[in-house]
Amino acid sequence: MNLNPFWSMSTNTGRKRSDCEEQSGEQQQQRASPARPSFGKKQLPSIPKNAVPITKPASPAATAQLANGTHASYGPFYLEYSLLAEFTLVIKQKLPGIYVQPSYKSALMWFGVIFIRHGLYQDGVFKFTVYIPDNYPDGECPRVVFDIPVFHPLVDPVSGELDVRRAFTKWSSVPHGLFLQLDSDTALRNHNHIWQVLMYARTVFYKINTMEPLNPEAAVLYDKDVQLFKSKVIDSVKLCNSHLFDQPKMDDPYAISFSSWNPAIHDEAKERMFSHKRRPEDHHKGLQVSGLSWVKPGSTQPFSKDDNPPLS
Amino acid sequence: MSWLSRLTPRGPEGRSSRNVAPSSPCTADPETCLMVFENHWRQVSWVLEQQDPSSSSDDLTAVRNHTDQMLCLLAEERPGECEGPPGAVTSGNVPPIGPILDLVVSENVLERVVQWHLRRGLDPDSQGALLKLFEMLIGQSQQPLLQHKAVLQPLLGLLGACAEPQLGCPPSLENSLVLLLNQICVSMARAPAVLELLFRSAPAQHGPTNLLIFSLLVPFIHRDGAIGQQARDALLLVMATSASNQGVARYIAENSYFCPVLATGLSALYSSLPRKIEVRGDDWHALRREDWMGVSSLVLFMNSLEFCNAVIQVAHPLVRRQLVDYVHNGFLVPVMGPALHKSSVDEMIASTTYLDLFLRSVTETSLLKAFLRFILMHRHDNDTILDTLLTRISSNSRLCMVSLSLFRTLLSLNCEDLMLQLVLRYLLPCTHVMLSQRRAIRDTDLYGKSADKFLSLIPDCCRLSTATSAEREEEPALWGKVLNSPSSESPVHHKPSTPSRLALFMRQQSTGGGPCTPSPTETIPSSPGAGPNTPLSPDSPMHPVPEGLDWESGYLEYLRDARRGVELCSWACRNWSAPYDGEDPSPNTAPLPPPPPTSNPSLAMFPEHFSFQQGGGGGGSTSPGQQRAAVVAAARSEWSSTERDSGEWDVTIGENSCISLTPRTKKRSLQREDVHLPKPLHLPPDSASLPDPSAVPHLRSAPTKGAQQAIINGTLLGGQGDRCRDSQDGGMEVKKVKRELGEQRHPAGGDSSQNGEVSACPAPAQSCGSLQGFYSEGNGSGAAESSRGLPPHKPSHTQTPSASLLSEPRTNSSNDRLTLRAAASSPGSGPPEAMLFNQSEAVERLISELLDGAGPGEGGQQGPGDSNGQGISIEAFTQELRELEDRVRERSKGVGLFRQLEETTRDPHSGEPPPPSPLDADLMGSGVVAGVVGVLRPLGQPSTQPYTGPFMVVLFAKLENMLQNSLYVNILLTGILGQLACYPQPLLRSFLLNTNMVFQPSVKSLIQVLGSVKGRIETFAASHEDFPAMLKKAQRYLAARGKVDWADSPMGMPTLRRSDSLVKSRKPSLGDLILRHTNSPTRARHAAQLALAHVRDGGQSLHSALFRGGSGVSGLEKQAEALRVKNAVYCAVIFSEFLKELAALAQEHAVSMPFLQRHDTEE
Repeated sequence: MNLNPFWSMSTNTGRKRSDCEEQSGEQQQQRASPARPSFGKKQLPSIPKNAVPITKPASPAATAQLANGTHASYGPFYLEYSLLAEFTLVIKQKLPGIYVQPSYKSALMWFGVIFIRHGLYQDGVFKFTVYIPDNYPDGECPRVVFDIPVFHPLVDPVSGELDVRRAFTKWSSVPHGLFLQLDSDTALRNHNHIWQVLMYARTVFYKINTMEPLNPEAAVLYDKDVQLFKSKVIDSVKLCNSHLFDQPKMDDPYAISFSSWNPAIHDEAKERMFSHKRRPEDHHKGLQVSGLSWVKPGSTQPFSKDDNPPLS
Repeated sequence: MSWLSRLTPRGPEGRSSRNVAPSSPCTADPETCLMVFENHWRQVSWVLEQQDPSSSSDDLTAVRNHTDQMLCLLAEERPGECEGPPGAVTSGNVPPIGPILDLVVSENVLERVVQWHLRRGLDPDSQGALLKLFEMLIGQSQQPLLQHKAVLQPLLGLLGACAEPQLGCPPSLENSLVLLLNQICVSMARAPAVLELLFRSAPAQHGPTNLLIFSLLVPFIHRDGAIGQQARDALLLVMATSASNQGVARYIAENSYFCPVLATGLSALYSSLPRKIEVRGDDWHALRREDWMGVSSLVLFMNSLEFCNAVIQVAHPLVRRQLVDYVHNGFLVPVMGPALHKSSVDEMIASTTYLDLFLRSVTETSLLKAFLRFILMHRHDNDTILDTLLTRISSNSRLCMVSLSLFRTLLSLNCEDLMLQLVLRYLLPCTHVMLSQRRAIRDTDLYGKSADKFLSLIPDCCRLSTATSAEREEEPALWGKVLNSPSSESPVHHKPSTPSRLALFMRQQSTGGGPCTPSPTETIPSSPGAGPNTPLSPDSPMHPVPEGLDWESGYLEYLRDARRGVELCSWACRNWSAPYDGEDPSPNTAPLPPPPPTSNPSLAMFPEHFSFQQGGGGGGSTSPGQQRAAVVAAARSEWSSTERDSGEWDVTIGENSCISLTPRTKKRSLQREDVHLPKPLHLPPDSASLPDPSAVPHLRSAPTKGAQQAIINGTLLGGQGDRCRDSQDGGMEVKKVKRELGEQRHPAGGDSSQNGEVSACPAPAQSCGSLQGFYSEGNGSGAAESSRGLPPHKPSHTQTPSASLLSEPRTNSSNDRLTLRAAASSPGSGPPEAMLFNQSEAVERLISELLDGAGPGEGGQQGPGDSNGQGISIEAFTQELRELEDRVRERSKGVGLFRQLEETTRDPHSGEPPPPSPLDADLMGSGVVAGVVGVLRPLGQPSTQPYTGPFMVVLFAKLENMLQNSLYVNILLTGILGQLACYPQPLLRSFLLNTNMVFQPSVKSLIQVLGSVKGRIETFAASHEDFPAMLKKAQRYLAARGKVDWADSPMGMPTLRRSDSLVKSRKPSLGDLILRHTNSPTRARHAAQLALAHVRDGGQSLHSALFRGGSGVSGLEKQAEALRVKNAVYCAVIFSEFLKELAALAQEHAVSMPFLQRHDTEE
């Protein structure tokens, strides 16, 4: 499915979320995310009724100092945009079965849900939260914490945190085999991205790794008694799914919440989701004439396309 | 707007309105009407049956009277009860016709009447009467008539008579004829089957012209006034009706002259357009609708062009294709091509402006394609039109501005073919980046590093004033809302006071910038930015202007604009054939782009010095060292000759790429030579400083030809060296030499040429010096460094204005010119003008503040663009000039004085005509850059040298020279670069916006150019104590201007399709409107006053201190200095804004989502 319509329409869901609980069902995707207005068209997120807009406290000076780099006053933009760009990358990656949504209150906290479609954890729907260090991108790798600790060797049975660090020992470091020293900044920083963390979070459920587990019990069981492990996993999946409709753990208007399928609400939304074609914000017909091309694909010669294209 | 949709309602309306009166008496009783009709008919037919050919005039009168009555009755008759669908002629479902019509058909009444008239010879009087009768009948009839042969045949008979050569249609009847034809077409549009009838049932004798109505209409296509409009409307209806009729379309295409007449008519109309566009206002650069509405010849042309466009929109593909071909081959190539290559600057300006206007007016893709094809592919004297246009950018007059404006229009088309030719093909091979960097081409500015780099280039001296207002305006809105603690429930530690406010930011974007507040209940996912309650687009001029000094309204605005720009651009480019990401098309298979052209002057205005140098290195007979010395000498000599002349050079490029440099003044003074001292005769005999312009060709020819030809970037090589050498002694020969060079492709040719030629400044000497240092450094970053060395010298390049001053009086005598005065633009702008007056009080105050000490500037009212308004006469000026020259020569003994001298000599010139001058001051950078590029190329890698193309080179050159550019040039220029930076293609994006990219040393990057400009601004600021104050004033002035102009904006933009027909180059708050109100009295006055502001500004200038003792010069000198200061201060303002814009673009690219390709179904 096309992610674009998905994200765009979800704004709407986000708006409704406060009054009517959304639910789950087969078409989980669309309610997985309330508004992510930012990417692409960056539309103004709708503000849920129960959301209390943050008031403006701190002094400008304090903020300016936080900026990374020489131009303090613009610093915040960089972080905002870096995260926005990371989020855009996530969308572009079209990660299978993973949906995330930055929180209303902080761009450093993303809500997510992952759908496991086959394997040991098949049918699992795990909600999680991504915490991005606030010195991003200079800090360590983001943390992924499952709302309910999934029974998994790499998931802390108490906190629900996934061991991400093992996969990203050096966050933002030079990828092995690469020696791009020409421009340290680009080369160094462009490697690790949040989507990779999400991808990793998904992979973990398909390829079980028992080395240095956070949940030794799970690791031992997997190695020694797969059957028992499997049944524990099934229990865990059931547990998670049974809490699917719970109120979100965090009181955030953009937190992902599930509600049962309500045709009155969701059919229309689904419809719109599938029919939506993204366009520029203030696109109008006057622009039609733009975007001309008579270049034959594969050619770099102007006017190489068939001279008389089929006329309407 | 669709022409057709405008048309269609017309028929019914006209009809119903006319129905009212006549229908009342007869509605009574159909039977009575029939009886009356029969009665009339009896009497008419009695007359008709008289076989006597010489019927009396009584007969005629009787027949006419009765016919009038009869046709009135016929027209008013209502059809019988309709059982079948009306208008279904060919099927059997013809509605029952009324009894009168029945009688008309059965007795063939009309045919007999018409034949009778024809038999007895049709005098104009009765011909007119018949035309009117039929027009009334067809226009007002209550039932469809034309499908009846009994109506159609006599009508065609009558029309056929009108088409006959011997009878024809007297001019007095043309109106009636066209009206009748128009009515026929309207009816036909309602019942398309009639077309087929008309087409088939043509009288046999008319053979090829068997679509009579058509051939009768064609001659009126280009007519002025209502008659032309009616004819065009009618033709358009035929076109639309025949769009699906292969036969008719083939007839039109093959048997009618429609397409050739239409297309070549454009040529004829074009030839009557004003050759000179005379404008007041130094910011004028493009024709708006209100500009041309007052110029009848332009209106005529535009009507026809719009008609072409409309025809292409509705006509059958056959017709469309033919018309497009004719427009290309019958108008663009034979007329537009030569027009663009006219030799006088005025004509170049006019033709460029026209082309821009045409491009903005054409909406049909296939017609646009013809234009683009012409521009990109057609070669006129071996150069594509595009090449020619590119060279114009580097000129330093209004020609530059109109050319920039044209390119802006072109870029706004987002046309792949164009972008390919302009930029992308040069970037495709990826030779401009280091091999290891190719993978980075697709990187976006994920972490704001590029943005940070751009912002870091804002000169410190420009930050001062922004700091305060930024704090005041931005901080509370943006930075203030720091998130205290994200969420207490957070199980993971979360540092409080994290600066992350993504969501907040998203929210504030809308509020931060003004009225763009999407409603929270917005449910349409696709229209987020401009919600239902926000009718204004984000960049709408209606944006409330925040009070105070916040014209620099902050980064958010730029982000918003950048997002919109990137989004629209990538949407528009979604159907391009390739992503241009460094992999597709593959760099390895990409054809090598054309090398820096050797015959194209656009890249190098005077790079000969450098290529010369390189040529030596490449195997010349002289050692490089010697050559370098020679170059320096040459440059110096040029320089010294410059002292005498105004320092301007005309570059003339002959057929064989030989460039001759002619000092501008020389040329101008040719006709006065016998009166005044011919400049060349003053030349110091001293050979080390060859003063004669022709010395340049000479010097150039020194190295062996072979060496010259090996030059990569060399613009001017070729076998012309010998000839050029001929001209080496004696400037008197310059003219002759130029003739010798053969047909001059370049406009600089004639004596009549004015200030717009591609002209080279004497700067080479300076840049050469710095270049040498640079050269030895041999790396890319050196470029910026070396050019940074330039600023102190730069001032000397503001000399140009004199050119325009001197040339203008002469051109004023030209007959046909288009004068755009404030009044000329009045049609649409009267009210705004008034508003402007009302609201200009504050502005006025600001201006006077800005100009304090400038004295009563009322003299400036005269319109700065018009040299007539200047107080100083040419004579006086020339006199002064000569005095100055003498003085200068005395001082010129010491080489060390060069710089000083240069300033002395030039400033007097430049001080003269303030308003045009700013435009003129900006030429030289291009040459420098081209030279740099040439020099930088490592030797021995001839053809694979990275070369980013003439467009980039010339834009960067222009940009590098920003400090000397006029405000308006800078606005246009940065606007174009901003537009380029919106393009999502990674190749282009990385080239412009990725500040981390490592390019090949010979490739100059945008960031380098910007760094160089920054350096110059800082140097300038450092040398002017009151820079901060001036900066502030400039900002306030621009902000005030913006407000005034915004007040006008409700009047709306010209109704041209692309609403941004006016350049909105900078921020709306800044640039949009500076350019909008081209004829604003306020601005005119302001510019004029500024010109007189020398008293204050001159006082601080360095050079005036040097010459404090000088007697007569001070006034002019100070004016020049004032101008220089003004340009520099405005440049500082624009520069800072431009950097913000670039930074915002870099950031927005990182977060933009690509559009899916080719899902155009819903369009």
